[in-house]
Amino acid sequence: MSSTAQSIQDAKLRADIDRSLRHPVMFFMTSGAAWLAVSIILGLISSAKVHSPEFLSGCGWLTYGRVFPAHIAALVYGWGFQAAFGVMIWLMARLSRQECKSAGVILAAGHVWNFAVSIGLLGILGGAGTGVPWMEFPTFVWPVLLVTYFVIVVWSFIQFRVRPSGYVYISQWYIMAAMIWFPWVFITANLLVFTFKGGHPVMAAGIAAWFKSGLIYLFFTPVALAASYYLAPKVTGRPIYSYSLAKLGFWSLAIIAPWAGMQKLTGAPIPFFLPYLGAAATALLFIPALAVGVNILRTTLANPEAVEQSPSLRFSVAGIIGLLVFGFAGLFLNLPGSSLKLTQFSLSGYGFEILALYAFFSFIMFGAIYFIVPRITRREWLSRRLINMHFFFSVYGIIAVSVVALFGGLMQGIGQEEWIQPWINAATRTYPYAIFITIAWAFILFSNVFFFLHLTLMWLRLGRRSSHPTLLVSHHGGSSPHGAEGDIDNAGPGSADAHAH
Amino acid sequence: MSVPNSKPDLDESINVAEAHGRIIREAAATAREKRIADNGREPVSIGLIVVIGITGVIAGGILGHGGDWFNYKTLFKPGYVRAEAPGGEDSGPKPKPAIEVLSARGAKLYSAKCAGCHGPDAKGDGSNYPALAGSKRVLGNTDALAMVILNGLQGPTSSGKTYGAGLMPPQGAGMGAEDLAGLLTYIRNGFGNTSGDVVTVDMAKAALDISGKRAKAGQPSTDAEVMAEHDKALPGEPLDPQIMMDPVTLQLAPAP
Repeated sequence: MSSTAQSIQDAKLRADIDRSLRHPVMFFMTSGAAWLAVSIILGLISSAKVHSPEFLSGCGWLTYGRVFPAHIAALVYGWGFQAAFGVMIWLMARLSRQECKSAGVILAAGHVWNFAVSIGLLGILGGAGTGVPWMEFPTFVWPVLLVTYFVIVVWSFIQFRVRPSGYVYISQWYIMAAMIWFPWVFITANLLVFTFKGGHPVMAAGIAAWFKSGLIYLFFTPVALAASYYLAPKVTGRPIYSYSLAKLGFWSLAIIAPWAGMQKLTGAPIPFFLPYLGAAATALLFIPALAVGVNILRTTLANPEAVEQSPSLRFSVAGIIGLLVFGFAGLFLNLPGSSLKLTQFSLSGYGFEILALYAFFSFIMFGAIYFIVPRITRREWLSRRLINMHFFFSVYGIIAVSVVALFGGLMQGIGQEEWIQPWINAATRTYPYAIFITIAWAFILFSNVFFFLHLTLMWLRLGRRSSHPTLLVSHHGGSSPHGAEGDIDNAGPGSADAHAH
Repeated sequence: MSVPNSKPDLDESINVAEAHGRIIREAAATAREKRIADNGREPVSIGLIVVIGITGVIAGGILGHGGDWFNYKTLFKPGYVRAEAPGGEDSGPKPKPAIEVLSARGAKLYSAKCAGCHGPDAKGDGSNYPALAGSKRVLGNTDALAMVILNGLQGPTSSGKTYGAGLMPPQGAGMGAEDLAGLLTYIRNGFGNTSGDVVTVDMAKAALDISGKRAKAGQPSTDAEVMAEHDKALPGEPLDPQIMMDPVTLQLAPAP
């Protein structure tokens, strides 16, 4: 009897934690999803301009040089960070078993973050962008983002400090790491590029390249890994396959990732070893990718039914496969004798970034959102078809964008290497790939607009009132996987309502 | 049983059935959650270690390409400049015969400095400006011609006629040896003139030298002075007009 009472207490505590974080988490996720849609629209426009330069050419603020950075900025700071915030603060509260006592402050900071991103984006479209990749916002924006960031995550530090037991989950390692690494990377890069301009401008380009890879490997990657290390055992009910592998994955990431990035400046007049160091580190990052990938896949694939039925697990597994592809691409694209020079000035770099930000990071964030939202809203997802559609359109779309951009970029690079030929030959080679990418972005946009609507309905508490989860099971005959038809407002198995039928 | 902590406070504040029902109703998703178990203790498999080893070897190979990292001499490799493509077809403009190369250079200078008075066809206008085509001075000794170009000419020309302009202004300002060599070669071989030889850069250097040491430096030369002091060829080795020359550097092209 006492264990039942304990588990009820425990479920109540978890429900209370979820409830305490409802508004900030839903705010981050919903506005993140809206920014994602905005980013994809901008990506669509910029991709269309690659193959049809006359498209929207009358609009000064929609030229390629503004739309493309706006696309990336909305993807990174609008969607990526906000999805990460939602997942980080929820996971840390849950794993530290602490209710959030500062939801209002976080929510307010979230609004500031959104406001800063909006201003920054308007700045880029208005022509006030800095021109530094991934740091395009006008320079007054970054300190605002930094301060807001601290206000959002500092509560998670506190929750971690006062957690009841000494045990630290793998997910907590990664969240703590991401929370500490991000300000390091962000402050270093912004100060060195924008504030202390004493250095050589080519070095600033190198720092920007390092910043880009730092954000991917030292912030987005650990956040996504934290979520996948949480979801895999939680949904399948099985322990993580190997603790040693988890440690290997974490420490190899921590040791290797800070060195990566400078290979983008191969051949530039910066100290000669830096690009090679960056290329080698990026190649070595296949090791953490492999360690985590194997660990999670071993945990989940032993339970294939759960992967098939659970939306969160299906998205996470797709994201982990994205991680493995991403890790392998890092290994394969940085060989100085062959591929490195082909990827430097071509579409491949873009394919690599989209692979990281969408095929890996975003998929795991989607998985986490599908897991978290029913808990904090106390409603179940409305429609299995919408989830299915989101999944398949995203998967096909992202395979198209990233693989085509990577491969098309190599073709473009080969064209550029034939430097006796006119440069237009290299540009012509890109043409079919660019068209394909535009179409693929249209697919992804389609799926994400519905994802955003679905999420908004959940925040408005218009989800299903049911104790049955929304699983991705196709049902034959009359029986719905969510319970009997009309079983929308039941109280779950064992309740008076459920037995009244 | 009397120690409060050993007995859960079920009877007084929590009705298990009711609480359970409420949780299931209000937080169904939370209630059906699974526990995160302790992590598995599986060892890292041999296959994985092998793949990680291969990755390390590849990364080591990439680092190896960096060469001798902290040696300053190799820090900035000469490899920043691309190696010549196989076949060498693209290593700049192709060499041409010296007479063509020098004339092409002279033609540019002629159109900038000379064509205004002597005309694009070098026929002059018969009254104010003398023709260069067929002129004795142009086809005569190179030293004399160079002095006229560099210092200008006052008074009658080589034909004895005084033209309306009366004075040809000096053209030597800013003119280098390569320009002068090109210009001399061009006017001696263009417009129907057929001296058939080239004035080399070395000869032009000598001309600049001679011009600088004139007794009346700074004043326009006169026909009398030119005939008295400069009626000779410029010193220097003559060059085969058909020898191949690099059009950019004006160096003789290496034998193929």
